[in-house]
Amino acid sequence: MRGKPKLAVYWTGGCGGCDVSFLELGPALLDVLSQVEIVFWPALVDTKRADLEELPPRSITATLVNGTLRTEENVEMVRLLREKSQLVVAFGACAHLGGVPGLANLASREEILRTVTGNGFRLAPPPGGDAEDSPPELLGAARPLADEVAVDYTVPGCPPMPSLIGPFFEALLSGDLPDPGHVFAQEQALCKECPRTREDRKLTKVLRPHEALPDPQECLLDQGMICMGPVTRGGCGAACPKAGMPCTGCVGPTPEAGDPALAMIAALGSLVRAGDEGPAAFAAEDRVLDTLVDPLGTFYKYSLPVYVRARRAA
Amino acid sequence: MPNPRPDARGPRIGVFVCHCGKNIAGTVEVERVVEALARHPGVVYAARHEYMCSDPGQDLIKRAIKDHRLTGVVVAACSPTMHETTFRNAAEEAGLNPYLLEIANIREGCSWVHEGPETTDKAIRIARAAVEKVKGNHPLAPTEVGHADKCLVIGGGVSGIQAALDVANAGYEVVLVERSPSIGGRMAQLSETFPTLDCSQCILTPKMVEAARHPKIRLLTYAEVESVSGYLGNYHVVIRKKPTYVDPDKCNLCGDCAKVCPVRVPDEFNRGLSPRAAIYVPFPQAVPSSYTLDEEHCLGLNPLRCGECAKVCTVGAINYDMREERIEEDVAAIVVATGYDLYGKERMTEYGAGTVPDVIDALEFERLLSAGGPTRGEVRRPSDGKVPKEVVFIQCSGSRDPELHKPYCSKICCMYTAKHALLYRHSVHDGTAYIFYIDIRAGGKEYEEFVVRAMEDERILYLRGKVAKVYRDGDKVIVWGVDTLTGKRIEVAADLVVLAQAMVPSVGTEELARKLHIACGGEGFLKEAHPKLRPLEALTAGIFLAGAAHGPKDIPEAVAQGSGAAAKAIAILSSPTLTHSPEVAEVDEDLCSGCAVCVPQCPYGAISPGEVAHVNELLCEGCGTCVAACPSGAMRMRNQTDDQVKRMIRVALGEPVEVGRG
Ligand SMILES: Cc1cc2nc3c(=O)[nH]c(=O)nc-3n(C[C@H](O)[C@H](O)[C@H](O)COP(=O)(O)OP(=O)(O)OC[C@H]3O[C@@H](n4cnc5c(N)ncnc54)[C@H](O)[C@@H]3O)c2cc1C
Ligand code: SF4
Ligand code: SF4
Ligand code: SF4
Repeated sequence: MRGKPKLAVYWTGGCGGCDVSFLELGPALLDVLSQVEIVFWPALVDTKRADLEELPPRSITATLVNGTLRTEENVEMVRLLREKSQLVVAFGACAHLGGVPGLANLASREEILRTVTGNGFRLAPPPGGDAEDSPPELLGAARPLADEVAVDYTVPGCPPMPSLIGPFFEALLSGDLPDPGHVFAQEQALCKECPRTREDRKLTKVLRPHEALPDPQECLLDQGMICMGPVTRGGCGAACPKAGMPCTGCVGPTPEAGDPALAMIAALGSLVRAGDEGPAAFAAEDRVLDTLVDPLGTFYKYSLPVYVRARRAA
Repeated sequence: MPNPRPDARGPRIGVFVCHCGKNIAGTVEVERVVEALARHPGVVYAARHEYMCSDPGQDLIKRAIKDHRLTGVVVAACSPTMHETTFRNAAEEAGLNPYLLEIANIREGCSWVHEGPETTDKAIRIARAAVEKVKGNHPLAPTEVGHADKCLVIGGGVSGIQAALDVANAGYEVVLVERSPSIGGRMAQLSETFPTLDCSQCILTPKMVEAARHPKIRLLTYAEVESVSGYLGNYHVVIRKKPTYVDPDKCNLCGDCAKVCPVRVPDEFNRGLSPRAAIYVPFPQAVPSSYTLDEEHCLGLNPLRCGECAKVCTVGAINYDMREERIEEDVAAIVVATGYDLYGKERMTEYGAGTVPDVIDALEFERLLSAGGPTRGEVRRPSDGKVPKEVVFIQCSGSRDPELHKPYCSKICCMYTAKHALLYRHSVHDGTAYIFYIDIRAGGKEYEEFVVRAMEDERILYLRGKVAKVYRDGDKVIVWGVDTLTGKRIEVAADLVVLAQAMVPSVGTEELARKLHIACGGEGFLKEAHPKLRPLEALTAGIFLAGAAHGPKDIPEAVAQGSGAAAKAIAILSSPTLTHSPEVAEVDEDLCSGCAVCVPQCPYGAISPGEVAHVNELLCEGCGTCVAACPSGAMRMRNQTDDQVKRMIRVALGEPVEVGRG
């Protein structure tokens, strides 16, 4: 590799938090920035699509894409970036798994447009503009980056935490890169990093985070809060559970857990306790679990597009 | 037949298909199974035999293991619960690790339940799946453990007493825990027993005394099991013994204390038909032979509050400072013999029970018949003490009534009702006894004869039909019913009605079962491991069931089960070491996050939480529940990994297997 590694960062359908997350690296960010050459990063430097088009193929060392794929323009851009880059990195939960915007897949594109344009708003070119200046078409569904282009690495999280971004840059800058496909997080579940105690395993009620102030020591699940820790990769240091908030699964499921909803349902089935043993208890346990508000949004908060087929036009 | 294209270095598996006479060969084309399996990748040898479990069949396997240097064996035959041990022992004799042999069940799971050409197809799939499993098996060795040298018996009814005596007479120590102040159980409350009409106490008390005096039996009455941990051979039990406030070694049963006690409460032993003091002995032959002070009803265990009993006790047996004892014991085996209760008669509102005083249950009637009972054996009704001249007995009261009460037959009520009517007629010669019944179930040695004797010699009126209503009219109890044989409506103005109440498990059976990690069936009776072949064993190894706790039973059956359970316990106590199957769950510590999701899942309490989960191999019964629950794929079943299961499913669901002639 001659000269400094060339870096591109691009933002598709996301909230922008990923772009800001780099700042959390603190002084280390200055180190990183001094060692790379930024060739394309619309949020940071004035670079346009035309600049990108001019670059020779595979001239960018690494491109970090954050955001879900939601428009045709998103797809064009990531294809272009793929062509110009040696490495493409899915950065953040949206690029990794579809992310929170992926929950829109519960409705069809038509339903979404109908809802959004119901007040008269129309997708149209700006006044005096050409047809090609009109906003890009929405895709049928939100999709993770890997649906469209080959992804070499993933830095997960919503947004990625410095504990995950740091190791990625270390690997990139040292040239000591892991095998393709590597996810910069733990293979083991978050509970491994969580200091909360799990002595008396039981789930006797389901509480939403705002409904109680959890005990500072005991596992949140034992207190009725649906913590996705058992099925979610560690690496974040269990920041949320430490602060009394249940894990919502932003780093994504462990490889062994696979579909996080299925794994979590099995786990909850194991933990739930109501009444004495026997058929009556099963019914009571069902009632406890039935009080879980928004199961899809709880179990697939960041990963719906990966595990659930998008709804067709209604 | 040897495989035409054996793989030089891969697994060398032998498949042995059993005809089981016509059991398998009747619907499965065995030859075709052999042919198909001989061509299955990894199989180097396949053969069949008329009866694989016979000596020549086993020899065939042993020879093939040696001749073909087999690295794994599949026996396609009956259920593994039948002959897995047989074939694994044979493999071991031929030098193959027994855990490299698997059974493909093509009988219970195939030939018995299907017919037509697909049966052979399915047998082939099952056998192939077993081959795929064997490919992933590892040699294992059973875990060996030492064991404690005592047996715990819970419940001191006739069944528990028998179990305790048999174990003790075989030379092993027994801890017998009884909840009430005396052993004896329900049998001590009975008058005479069908079909021989022996006096119940006369035949029971010698056993009670023997149990009390036996040097190998530690008798703990007024005591309950608080907790149980451990596993087959090494159970650790904590027992709480309530204070009786009377030193049994000093008490001489003079009864002076009860005379001065100002308290009167219903006497449980007489089922409330007479009162007792707060300090009492349940019955004169109680074992241990001592009064018991019931602290719940005593005025205060304090000379300042009352203290009358202590003042009159000349031998100084009463000690108000006695404290509850916590006793810990290590035992190898446990016999559960906690017996039964009667289904509460007050639930029989249709029969006026609970509101009409002269509607009583069968055990109350036993007490009325007993020489030691509240009426000294004269049949007198509770309301006014008159001798009843017309008595109606209602069978199946609360039994065989799935809509309102219990769906099952309580099995012994036909017999004791015949006994009741007969004893009533012996006692009240001019009395009339009516029995309403659905049908008579008198299966048992000399039972039918006994019922016939009651019908014919004692002229008891058996009326086939259900009672519709019972109500009080003046000093009579009116019974309305229908005789379904004649179709006539019947109305009897009775003096006394006796309900043959359904038998239900003793209060607290489910709670105890939970402590022991054993199961109860739908009706709450303790559940056996196999209804036919393992009727005395709970599913948890080392725990045995005896007597009416397991289901309605009469005395001979309860005693036989007590002896049977004792034999099972002795088999454990007398073996130098115990082995435990190595086919258990284990944790992959690199994958485990310590989430402890698996912990509450284990029905045997085998998993402890921690940095990573830990499975106690001796407690694990290999059920696999935790494996399914683990979200991290960290929990694995030895020789039954996800990978093996997936491969088995794949071959089982693979392309339809060619069954046409090759
Ligand atoms: C009205 C009637 C008449 C009968 N007449 C006859 C007859 O004539 N002939 C015949 O063969 N059978 C007869 N029987 C049946 C007989 O009573 C039973 O077969 C026999 O008593 C069963 O003995 P068992 O030891 O299993 O249970 P039980 O006699 O019920 O003894 C169980 C013992 O366990 C104790 N226990 C319960 N729970 C616990 C606990 N958690 N911890 C410690 N101890 C506990 C109880 O206090 C009790 O002492 C009759 C039954 C009834 C209802
Ligand atoms: S709080 Fe969440 S992360 Fe922590 S132990 Fe419980 S389930 Fe696991
Ligand atoms: S397999 Fe798992 S759940 Fe089943 S007994 Fe063993 S440790 Fe317990
Ligand atoms: S469920 Fe799995 S990951 Fe969790 S503690 Fe048990 S073995 Fe470990």
